[in-house]
Amino acid sequence: MVDIAYYAPLWGEALLTLLAVLIILFGSLMKGGKIWGYLSVAGLAAALALVMSSKTGTVFFFDTLSVDVISQFFKAVFLVVSLLVVIASLSRYTAKGSDEYYSLILLATVGMMVVASSVDLVTLFVGFELASLSTYALAAFDKSKRNLEAAMKYFIFGSVSSAMMLFGFSLLYGMAGSTRIADIANTALSSFGPATLVALLFVIAGFGFKMALVPFHMWAPDTYEGAPPLVSALLAAGSKKMGFAAAFRVIIVALLALRLEWYLAFAILAAITMTLGNLVACWQNNVRRILAYSSIAQAGYISIAFVVVGAASAMPNGQSIAQLGIAGGLLLILGHALMKTGAFIGTAQVASMVGSTGGNDPDDISNYAGLGRRAPITAFCMLIFMFALAGIPPTAGYIGKFVLFSSAIYSNLVWLAVLAILNSALSLYYYLRIVSYMYLKEPAGPRMPEPMGYAAALVLTLIAVLWIGIFPQGFIDWAMQAAAVLLPK
Amino acid sequence: MISNALSLMIAVPLLGAVIAFLTRSRAQARIVALIASLIPLLLSLQMYMEFDKSSKLMQFVESYAWVPTLGIKYTLGVDGIGFPLVLLSTIVSTLVIIYAWGEDKRPNQFFALLLLNEVGVLGVFVALDFFLFYIFWEIVLLPMYFLIGIWGGPRKDYSAIKFFIYTHVASLVMLLAIFALYFTYQMPDGSRTFDMLTLLQATADKAIFPTGLLNIIFAGLLFGFLVKMPAFPFHSWLPDAHVEAPTAGSVVLAALLLKMGGYGIFRVIVPMLPHVDKIFVTIIAVIAVLSILWGAFMALSQKDIKKLVAYSSVSHMGFVTLGAVAFTWLSIQGAMFQQFSHGIITCVLFMSAGTIQHSAGTRVISELGGLADRMPKFAFIIMAGFLASLGLPGMSGFVAEFMVLTGSFATLPVYTMIVVFLSIAITAAYHLWAVQKVMFGPILKKYINVHDPHAYELFSMSMIILLTLIFGLQPSLMTDIMGTAAYQLMEPVKTLAQMGVI
Repeated sequence: MVDIAYYAPLWGEALLTLLAVLIILFGSLMKGGKIWGYLSVAGLAAALALVMSSKTGTVFFFDTLSVDVISQFFKAVFLVVSLLVVIASLSRYTAKGSDEYYSLILLATVGMMVVASSVDLVTLFVGFELASLSTYALAAFDKSKRNLEAAMKYFIFGSVSSAMMLFGFSLLYGMAGSTRIADIANTALSSFGPATLVALLFVIAGFGFKMALVPFHMWAPDTYEGAPPLVSALLAAGSKKMGFAAAFRVIIVALLALRLEWYLAFAILAAITMTLGNLVACWQNNVRRILAYSSIAQAGYISIAFVVVGAASAMPNGQSIAQLGIAGGLLLILGHALMKTGAFIGTAQVASMVGSTGGNDPDDISNYAGLGRRAPITAFCMLIFMFALAGIPPTAGYIGKFVLFSSAIYSNLVWLAVLAILNSALSLYYYLRIVSYMYLKEPAGPRMPEPMGYAAALVLTLIAVLWIGIFPQGFIDWAMQAAAVLLPK
Repeated sequence: MISNALSLMIAVPLLGAVIAFLTRSRAQARIVALIASLIPLLLSLQMYMEFDKSSKLMQFVESYAWVPTLGIKYTLGVDGIGFPLVLLSTIVSTLVIIYAWGEDKRPNQFFALLLLNEVGVLGVFVALDFFLFYIFWEIVLLPMYFLIGIWGGPRKDYSAIKFFIYTHVASLVMLLAIFALYFTYQMPDGSRTFDMLTLLQATADKAIFPTGLLNIIFAGLLFGFLVKMPAFPFHSWLPDAHVEAPTAGSVVLAALLLKMGGYGIFRVIVPMLPHVDKIFVTIIAVIAVLSILWGAFMALSQKDIKKLVAYSSVSHMGFVTLGAVAFTWLSIQGAMFQQFSHGIITCVLFMSAGTIQHSAGTRVISELGGLADRMPKFAFIIMAGFLASLGLPGMSGFVAEFMVLTGSFATLPVYTMIVVFLSIAITAAYHLWAVQKVMFGPILKKYINVHDPHAYELFSMSMIILLTLIFGLQPSLMTDIMGTAAYQLMEPVKTLAQMGVI
């Protein structure tokens, strides 16, 4: 007899899986119209409530799924992103086929949640693939030519990265004789000579693709630009963070013994990623490409957390420095997930209005001219997201950068902190460019309608971004507790 | 005494900004703005009555836990350093809203941004926690960016972005220095704090802050403040921003935003000055003198009267730096008074430049002439403003610069003499030359139809002239407070806990 109450911490995943299957099943039998969207909203909200209220500290299914503070943190991020995307989709996906759209989003969310909880490499890989396969299909969902190109690129790069990751995992399994992260952490990996470095290289490359770190970033701008805009929101804000969730567990916990090796690798990756992302973003004219490069740059900032952990291990009070660094990374992940979701929903709203009246590229920055008067709610929310992404207080983006960059100073990585703030200032250029198109230029057309779904999602995101910025205490504590899970006691 | 007066003073304009933004017509927006700026003005006047001028301690203190995990508190308070600038901000914000009464391009946003600007500036002058201080410091950038970007002149895009990025970089460097302060100092119970006074007091302890580390932190903070002031050679964003900004934007930029840099010098830099390498005194003094001279010479060579006024700001703010670094009681007091005095005088100069542009359609000095013939009231005001700016005895500018030069001579005689010999005549020259060419002489035919500006513009400007005269003839109204603050600066910092207020 299965004790259902024992599995209460995993009810969220179970609920979403069940819902996804039911939506597909009934979707093929009846015409639902809007009902699938509303069901998904309700399901995601319920799952979020379950995740937030669940008891932490239990490991399920033969030591493969751990429900701890960090897994719940990431699950909350994924659920919030999916929830916002689904709310925005309410006014976009109502026709035939919408049941597939919503069930794919739900399945992708379940995959991400599994990754967040995995403490075993095989489970982690399964979760990864569930999320990836669902998002491959989503990236081509509108079936336009650009969709197909985007999805194809995403699929090929995604498969290659999965293969690399799997190869790295197989080497680790060979060395440790186990796929459990705890067992790998206890193995004397360095006794295996060059094989450890090869394994590390493949694991970092595999994760690097998912996190879109330079030089593994090439797919991201094309995919984020070409996929349906709401799916881009899910990819940039949700699925990319899944890469970080996995990397935090595998690299910081399982491969802690190799920290001197990956410390250097991440220092270089972080520095190159943020600089290149920001520089290239300055030259783009397509707003979604700007956002894509900005999200590459943000991945560079978040990677600073790894560097801080590596650098801190050699310092006397390393534990508290590493904790602060990881917490900073988590806060920036949370902040970035919200800001990017909001920004992509904003582009979706603009594209849906401009696209319907004709015009060449619906995401071209010229379509944003005078948006402040054409679509005041969308423009105002975008304005706040742009400033938040640039790290202007008091927003979620500022709090994340504040904690993360301060931890870099704390661990004596002054060069990295200086580089990061110079990048922050550079990024202001392209964020302000979007702002100046929206507010300083004359409108490019008549006033646009702002459908309820988009507006509701944007305003909710806006409130969350400002809320975290003004009342950060609870979120900082949460991130600190989550960070403590990853560090040895 | 009203409790939480400082929080109220920040909250009212913030609320006003939101309401003004949502209003539909100019009439509603400007009434909201006027009320929302008058309330802080009345509050600050009330506080002036209650202010204990002989106390060296923080007054009107409020402190609440905000992010205890990181040692961040919401702490507000004013002493002799901050309070005069609070008063300046409320006065200028109200008068500039009256001056802009006739704004007809997107008036709801315009007035909302002016109020938001007041929020940020007041916050900077009253925040006593570095985290809070930095937030207000950055918030100020937003309204100014939009004021320049939306209502600005032909090159507004370039100027607005240059202003934002240039000053943002400086703020970020300052933020890194704040991090270094934060992580170096540990409270007796092992926790960390962003409390400004506690950290500043700790910088005196060589065991915690070795001179090498302190020098780096000091340089980072100094850079942040000098860019904002702005001091030569970090001033290049200022002329662009001023020339393109609308009149009201220029006024708050020169009268309030530049004072934030000066405030940072007094609040943070001067208490640390005795503990850092002595070379910094020379560096700051050289920067101060170069700012005074460079600003004056550049002003002399300008064709545009607004650019002339912008460079005169660089020159006048140099006196603040000089007085602060000279580190005598009189010079510090004078430098503080210069902040206040320049804050009000520069308003009337930028308002005059705006009025000229509005009436004559150009600001190019060589194309103007004889306006006094058609604008007698305005001529009187602009004459008074320019004379106040060049340092006519009996007006506040003279008192401030006299105190700075007299006080500085004791410790920095060479620098002071350079300023006296080179800048004073030039300052007089560019002011007189400009006002003579623009206002006097035979009237040019094309200006035969100009007339005196609106009553509200004249009202704002004449109120400022009145204030200049009041503070010129009776400087002790302000200098009593500043004198106490100057004494306080020359002693070790006293934290709020030691004062017994929290």
